[in-house]
Amino acid sequence: MITEFSVDVDTLNLSDSKSLPVIRVSGEIDIYTCSELRKTLASTIESSATDFLLNLENVQYIDSTGLGTIAHSAQQIQTNNGQVFIICTKPQIKKIFEVSGLLSKNISIYESEDQISVPVEN
Amino acid sequence: MASKLEVSLTIPSMPEFVGVVRLAISGIAARMNFTIDEIEDIKISVSEACTNAIQHAYGTSPNPEKDFIDIKAYLTDDNLDIVVKDYGQGFDLSIIGTPEQREKSKEKMGLGLGLTFIKSLMDNANFESVEGQGTTIQMSKKSVNYSTTAVS
Repeated sequence: MITEFSVDVDTLNLSDSKSLPVIRVSGEIDIYTCSELRKTLASTIESSATDFLLNLENVQYIDSTGLGTIAHSAQQIQTNNGQVFIICTKPQIKKIFEVSGLLSKNISIYESEDQISVPVEN
Repeated sequence: MASKLEVSLTIPSMPEFVGVVRLAISGIAARMNFTIDEIEDIKISVSEACTNAIQHAYGTSPNPEKDFIDIKAYLTDDNLDIVVKDYGQGFDLSIIGTPEQREKSKEKMGLGLGLTFIKSLMDNANFESVEGQGTTIQMSKKSVNYSTTAVS
């Protein structure tokens, strides 16, 4: 079953009165849809976000173009010690992140948004 | 005697058709009793091969009316062999995995990982490219569950 692709932007209020931009994606991230994700990530970073949360719980598929898009944004915020928090529960998507080697950088995977209660201090 | 069945699909070199290829190939793989994880691996690999063709074969603005990608699936008993072929500019295969390739991929916001994924997710993968004539990516995977449930 393919869910229509969508990208929604929200804010997650953290316990210490800080907030984190949240980008929730649904559907398949591939060469066709990744440009929309790229635009959203770019505008999130432009509006002075150091860290952001990317929720991929409702993503059924991601390939190297999607990973490239995420890696590019992660690289941009790395200069300000920014972090990308990925929410992902599907084993096949986790596997792709693992195979790509991206997780050794400033990208980390969590099971749910609740786990991101305190921002990482740099 | 094992029969060799062929399923073929030709798409214009356009990003919106990669999802169609994934759907078709997952249907074929499901018929062969590949596991859900294996079907995912096959989907990603075929998708990466098509993405590679769309990004590199026909320059920056492919003509969808004449720039095509052929996808052929060959089913022989438990083996699924897939060939993704374009008729574009081809590229120098020796750059795969080199810093030069990563740099070129970065220009297109990629990671240079597409072909690496195919190699790691499929049982076998071969790349052939002739400059000016095109690129062929061949890959195969065996379905472990096939023989137990197949009707002969």
